[in-house]
Amino acid sequence: MNPDLFPQLNRVIHEKGRLAIMSALAAAPELTFTELRDLLDMTDGNLTTHIRTLQQEGFVSVAKSYQHNRPLTSCALTAAGRKAFAQYIDLLDQIVRQSKPK
Amino acid sequence: METKWAVENLQTIRTLMERSVLYRRALAPIMILAGTIGIAAGLAGWLGRMESSREFVCLWVVTAISSLAGALFLMRRQALKDSEPFWSPPTRRVCQALLPAFFVGLVMACLILVFISGPGGEGIELILVILWVLFYGCAVHAAGFFMPRGIRWLGWIFIIVGCALLSSLSLGAHWVDHMQPNLLMGGIFGGLHLAYGIYLFFTEQKKPTT
Repeated sequence: MNPDLFPQLNRVIHEKGRLAIMSALAAAPELTFTELRDLLDMTDGNLTTHIRTLQQEGFVSVAKSYQHNRPLTSCALTAAGRKAFAQYIDLLDQIVRQSKPK
Repeated sequence: METKWAVENLQTIRTLMERSVLYRRALAPIMILAGTIGIAAGLAGWLGRMESSREFVCLWVVTAISSLAGALFLMRRQALKDSEPFWSPPTRRVCQALLPAFFVGLVMACLILVFISGPGGEGIELILVILWVLFYGCAVHAAGFFMPRGIRWLGWIFIIVGCALLSSLSLGAHWVDHMQPNLLMGGIFGGLHLAYGIYLFFTEQKKPTT
């Protein structure tokens, strides 16, 4: 097995909660804060912290708007986030493939 | 060790990605159509005096099939308009969630049609209304896990209405006995769908994001 692959995994995405957020957003053009919270069963504070980290890395964009006079926060993956997520998946895939008996 | 971890992570990612794809096509037209058909069927049954259990079951099975066909037509039209596949994974999951309760409702209707309708089967319509409302509520609630969360509230409303009717019937409330089953069906199924459709018409995001 190539031992260099594991350290190449993006540390920001690698955290369990953030990986879950990235996975959910990778499959949908955008999700509201509430949808993400319900889907991932996270607390408001936990989700906010992880989203902020991903936002600072430029992986997630956050849009704030109003729907029926109530604030609506929507999250989406940025192009950089999509690329980083694809690279992360690719590395995981390589780790799995390398360990398979030939 | 790392391999096992990587496989588990990939599986988790796959599951999360599948779960996050929600059915987001506009529901307002579907709900308004189902509501209008339901109210029309209720009035037709009442005015046409379709009071035997056989006529009642036939009317509402035909109404359910018509509503379903209309809903599928509208869904297909929306999919074509957005250049997206009609039988998409979220659509498939919503249908799979609805199917068990719908199937039980249909089997109940068939059994009543074959074994209970006719002489001696009077009053079965009211029981059937309650069971259909309860099963429908459960089906909508189950489908709500793959749709925007508001739809689960509609499911709960059906369940609560069904439970209220069941309680009233169990407690011997006279007003339940005097309800015309066709009007009750039209009011509950037609009325609730139409009300929810109108609500969605004014509140739903006009451009679906998926």
